[in-house]
Amino acid sequence: MSNLVILPILLPLLTGIFLVFFNSKLAIVRMITKVMVIVNLIAVSAVAYEVVQNGTLVLKAGDWTVPYGIVLVADPLAMVLVVTANIVATACAFYAFHSLDEQRERFYFYPLFQLLIAGVSGAFLTGDLFNLFVFFEVLLIASYGLIVLGGTKEQFRESFKYIIVNLLSSILFVTTVSFIYAVAGTVNMAQLAERVGEVEQGGILTTIAILLFLVFATKGALFPLYFWLPKSYTVPPTVISALFGALLTKVGVYSILRVFSLIFVYELTFTHQLFIILAAFTLVFGVIGALSTNNIQLIVAYNIIPAVGYMILGIGVFSTTALAGSIYYLVHDMIIKAALFLLVGAMAAYSGTSDLRKMGGLIRHQPVLGWLFFIAALALAGLPPFSGFVGKLLILRGAFEEGHYVVAVIGLLTSLLILISIIKIFIKGFWGEDKLESVPSISIRKKVAPAAFLLFFTVLLGIGAEFFYPTVQTIGDQLIDPINYIDSVMKE
Amino acid sequence: MLHAAVLLPFLAAFFIPFIYRGVKQVHLGWFVLAVPILLFGYFLTFIKNVLQGVHTLKTFEWIPSLGVNVTLYIDGLGLFFALLITGIGSLVVLYSIYYLNKAEKLGHFYVYLLLFMGAMLGVVLSDNLFVLYTFWELTSISSFLLIGYWYQREKSTAGALKSMVITVFGGLAMLGGFLLMSDLTGTTSIRGIIENADLIVESPLFSFILILVLLGAFTKSAQFPFHTWLPDAMEAPTPVSAFLHSATMVKAGIYLVARLSLVFAGTDLFFLIVSGFGLLTLCWGSYMAVRKTDLKAILAYSTISQLGMIMAMLGFGTKAAILAAVFHILNHATFKGSLFMVAGIVDHETGTRDIRRLGGLFTFMPITATLAFFGAFSMAGFPLPIFNGFLSKEMFFEASLFKHSSPIVESVAPFFPYLAVGGSIFTFIYSVMLFFRTFTGKQRDTLEKQPHEAPIGMLISPMILVALVVIIAIVPDVFGKSLLAPMVDSITGKAVDPHIKFWHGINNTALYMSLAVLVFGTILYLTRTKWEKVYDILPGKMSAAKVFDAFMNGLETGSKKVTNRYMTGSLRHYLVYILTFSVVLLAVSMSVTGGFNLSTDDLAPIAVPEVMIAVVMAVAAFGTIFMNNRIAAILVLGIVGYGLSLLFVFFRAPDLALTQLIVETVTVALFLLCFYHLPDLNKEKTPSRTKVVNWVISISVGVIVTLIGIASHSTKMFEPISEYFIKNSYKLGGGDNIVNVILVDFRGLDTLLEILVLGLAAIGIFTMIKLRPNKKGGNE
Amino acid sequence: MEIIMSVLAGLLFTAGVYMMLQKQILKIVIGTALLSHGAHLFIITMGKLNRGNPPILTEDVTKYADPLPQALILTSIVISFGVTSFLLVLAYRAYQTNGTDNMEKLRGNEHE
Repeated sequence: MSNLVILPILLPLLTGIFLVFFNSKLAIVRMITKVMVIVNLIAVSAVAYEVVQNGTLVLKAGDWTVPYGIVLVADPLAMVLVVTANIVATACAFYAFHSLDEQRERFYFYPLFQLLIAGVSGAFLTGDLFNLFVFFEVLLIASYGLIVLGGTKEQFRESFKYIIVNLLSSILFVTTVSFIYAVAGTVNMAQLAERVGEVEQGGILTTIAILLFLVFATKGALFPLYFWLPKSYTVPPTVISALFGALLTKVGVYSILRVFSLIFVYELTFTHQLFIILAAFTLVFGVIGALSTNNIQLIVAYNIIPAVGYMILGIGVFSTTALAGSIYYLVHDMIIKAALFLLVGAMAAYSGTSDLRKMGGLIRHQPVLGWLFFIAALALAGLPPFSGFVGKLLILRGAFEEGHYVVAVIGLLTSLLILISIIKIFIKGFWGEDKLESVPSISIRKKVAPAAFLLFFTVLLGIGAEFFYPTVQTIGDQLIDPINYIDSVMKE
Repeated sequence: MLHAAVLLPFLAAFFIPFIYRGVKQVHLGWFVLAVPILLFGYFLTFIKNVLQGVHTLKTFEWIPSLGVNVTLYIDGLGLFFALLITGIGSLVVLYSIYYLNKAEKLGHFYVYLLLFMGAMLGVVLSDNLFVLYTFWELTSISSFLLIGYWYQREKSTAGALKSMVITVFGGLAMLGGFLLMSDLTGTTSIRGIIENADLIVESPLFSFILILVLLGAFTKSAQFPFHTWLPDAMEAPTPVSAFLHSATMVKAGIYLVARLSLVFAGTDLFFLIVSGFGLLTLCWGSYMAVRKTDLKAILAYSTISQLGMIMAMLGFGTKAAILAAVFHILNHATFKGSLFMVAGIVDHETGTRDIRRLGGLFTFMPITATLAFFGAFSMAGFPLPIFNGFLSKEMFFEASLFKHSSPIVESVAPFFPYLAVGGSIFTFIYSVMLFFRTFTGKQRDTLEKQPHEAPIGMLISPMILVALVVIIAIVPDVFGKSLLAPMVDSITGKAVDPHIKFWHGINNTALYMSLAVLVFGTILYLTRTKWEKVYDILPGKMSAAKVFDAFMNGLETGSKKVTNRYMTGSLRHYLVYILTFSVVLLAVSMSVTGGFNLSTDDLAPIAVPEVMIAVVMAVAAFGTIFMNNRIAAILVLGIVGYGLSLLFVFFRAPDLALTQLIVETVTVALFLLCFYHLPDLNKEKTPSRTKVVNWVISISVGVIVTLIGIASHSTKMFEPISEYFIKNSYKLGGGDNIVNVILVDFRGLDTLLEILVLGLAAIGIFTMIKLRPNKKGGNE
Repeated sequence: MEIIMSVLAGLLFTAGVYMMLQKQILKIVIGTALLSHGAHLFIITMGKLNRGNPPILTEDVTKYADPLPQALILTSIVISFGVTSFLLVLAYRAYQTNGTDNMEKLRGNEHE
């Protein structure tokens, strides 16, 4: 049974490697990708169902005794995120068929895409800190390959910055792992949790924890470490932006969530208080960025940042409610960011520009796109009854309950500003005078469909919150009291 | 059943587009009309129960684990609003059938309208705070869509945005208040919260909660200074203005204050804020309305002012005041609804709403004019007992004369009657002006259309409303007993004598106040050209609209400024921010948590060769900085790498040494290969300030990692797990070389992935070299 | 010895960071290489230095150097080799397409 845990990594990994050898036969590659993303989605959903129903599954890679080998831990948190990542992947794959130029498709888009998913899933699943670093590298180098794919001027310019910043944080990551090993003598996360608990995170451990936080926060795009992000996420083709926006920063956030709920939880007044302060700045500066531009892709890219702020706020508040909120928001944000990137991509493809000032009246030509975007905008701003509302409600409820009034009010105001920043696209792009010189002959139906698929989940997570919330609450409980995780790993 | 009633408009909204596509001959409105009429009939059946004090409560579990359930609750207050929404809704839909041409996008219009209707019913019937909030925001959204109905017009979209920004702002504040209230009382049910009101009132957060909730109510009900969205919302089609922006949606704030009166009322703060802002809004709205020349703008400011008046009465909180307030909600809906419809007719039949261009319409459209007469004079509170507006205004005056026990209230209350009269004088002026300037006198301008009476279909709805104006005035008790009394019960929590006097008698302060309004109003109306200059001083150039515009502009330019400041696109800047922040944070962390530790107990002895290599490496590392020749720089870098592999040899890591040696060689070769194509290093002319910053940052990074490294090494708290590998390498892994066994066995996954990384890098390099974008740039 | 090595690693970090703050692409890439060396030095230092034999099982020897950090470094070296090669080619292509190797000229902030 526990061998199932490897599936979410193995399937895309093998598919990706397999696809490398067929890169010249695009029809086959597309076919395999189509089949495999769906197979993978079904497989991970089955594993997730199993985990949620019957508890955490632990796979000891190579069957070595814990903590000497590497463990993969499919706890409900990891599986929920793996499933979400695969939902995003499915939508993006179908979008890719209808948006990428053949050159890019031929130059290993699909293998890179599959291996990115493998890396992301692995990062969610691994229970070993050094292995987490390795999975990070897998997903990063896949992302490096994707961000330069196409080789335009802008891509090279921005990807160089992107890679340098990520490289810096990777080097710090590996250094930090060595510091942790020096102090605690292990890199297994469950064992680390036990050992750090024994000494109550004394000595240099808190500083090491902060160093680790900085590493993840750089990848997770927290203030003031996110400056590399917005532009580098808008230079590659839409589908790659969507993958990045939906998955990459979230891996960073997930890592913070995991490490600072499982291992470093003994200096809350320092570490988690710090998170709250940074969350407030992230919220404000992120949304200010989103308000500052007329480039639709950049608006969406900037909106990644306040979302991270909300999630970190939930982690900082550190109550069951707030953590459940962060998880709910994490899932919501992966889906809605992908959807928004795809939608503005379709907008840009149709109107031939990303500049809002040159757009107008699109709703007359593309009503479906327009209304889908409208729903996505409301969901992004966290208005009910969509998924963003549930997450935001929980985070803010947690913040109010624990007495963090100032940051809660900032959270409320931020969601107004998010709404202003995103509804601007609707008002200026879809409403207003028709600015199209001639009606383009291209059909964007097949680009809209994947976004609609994603928005379906946004609505489902909002209106059908009752189906998901109890699970998320259980996860929240497990994060506050990680004994379940530690026991599942250590008592095998 | 009750849930089905709230759901019905949503369902209808879902099917409307299909009907619209299928049936082209019949005006879509006829299908839509069935919905509010059915609902109105349905809600009428509740009156009997409510009168007997039987309240209906139905729950549908939505997200029970969050305490968010669609609990619908019908008491006097909810029922009254439900009837108002569906009643006025029916008339508005009927009116819209004649107002909106079949060429318009009727499908959209009615979908939005039905969405609004359902949402508004949800607001007034929900007992759950968060469901109420959900519907509340939905009314804001549907209002946004309706105002932006003619989306090509810039004014429409600007008005839509403004209303959305302001009402959503209030909604979010309200959400904050709700969260705190439910946290304090442990329930999400409004009834539950009312039962535990003392927990909120005694909480130190009380004022905070109150202000948050009132922000929601004030923005929605267009109270000063948030009123500015309402005049701009007049860009919506007139039926919408009549329905949302005068009769129902803007009363959601009133509803909220009324609903939560049992929690908040009785506190001084509530009294001061609500009645204070209410009266201010009353005066400001009526004062500004006089100045306007667009019929709908006058009506918009008038609505603002009337909402202020109702709000003020809720603030007074006495039984008489509440009765007056609810009575006025009803009356306002009737006369203002009819006036909006009249304005729509005038616009429709003459092509303009500008009273400077209108005049003498009585001769062309006598029925419309008569309707306007009743509406306007009722609004003016003209002291004749055939106008319901007079009755409620009288009650308002009476209520403003109340006695109160609290000292703070005592000190401000005496001003209230004067404010009430002052605001009402201006109300009188604009009401009279509205009627006379439009319908009497001479036509001042040639109009696009030859004015003529409206079709009968358009007149039915305002006729019904005007009939109500008169009927309510003549038999107020019928309405008082059946509708208003239960409503006052719900607001005050106690049974009340609903008797509304048809005539208050002669010897009565309130009547004198009414007469004062009449006299001063008439004088000021007749002499208005003389004192119009007042407006140059107040408001002069000030306006809430300007504040809003400045805010929105500031948001755009300010955010641009802030963002451009730090988003420079310079990699160096980004690194500087990241590193500075990291160093500072780590230093703070180290000093706060006190983790630094230097232990010399368990160190390896210092050996000369290693130290020498270290010195060489350090020199070489810094050498790269000062090299001006690319080849030299790369070779010097090589020295560092080879030095490292030598160190590995000394530190008993033969495999590492070997790998490092190979990798270093290949890397150097690669460096040379690549940089053969790159320009040579040039002596960068860096400003010395930049240089200093670079040095400070890089040195502090070096220092901080060194310190953490030493501290980590000095605080070994646990035995490393590696003993296991040494013991079991051969037994379990079948190899002598422990490192190799770890790599291929114990941590085989890492190694697998590491190969994957190499493969991926290879693919990436291949695409970078081979894939050249086609001329167009190739980006989709 | 560990302290000296920590200081050396710190020095490598200092030099690496300084190089990364320069304008020229080549210098920046050299900076990352220096940083990687520093990190690897840290890892080996964090296991204990100079204890026992190299971790290759031989008879009669009971004391070996900590093998785990060595394994981790090996993985890390290979990964950073991959990334560095990628970065080198990227640097070359970035220079070729953009016509400059000065990152300060590659800000690309002409948006808005």
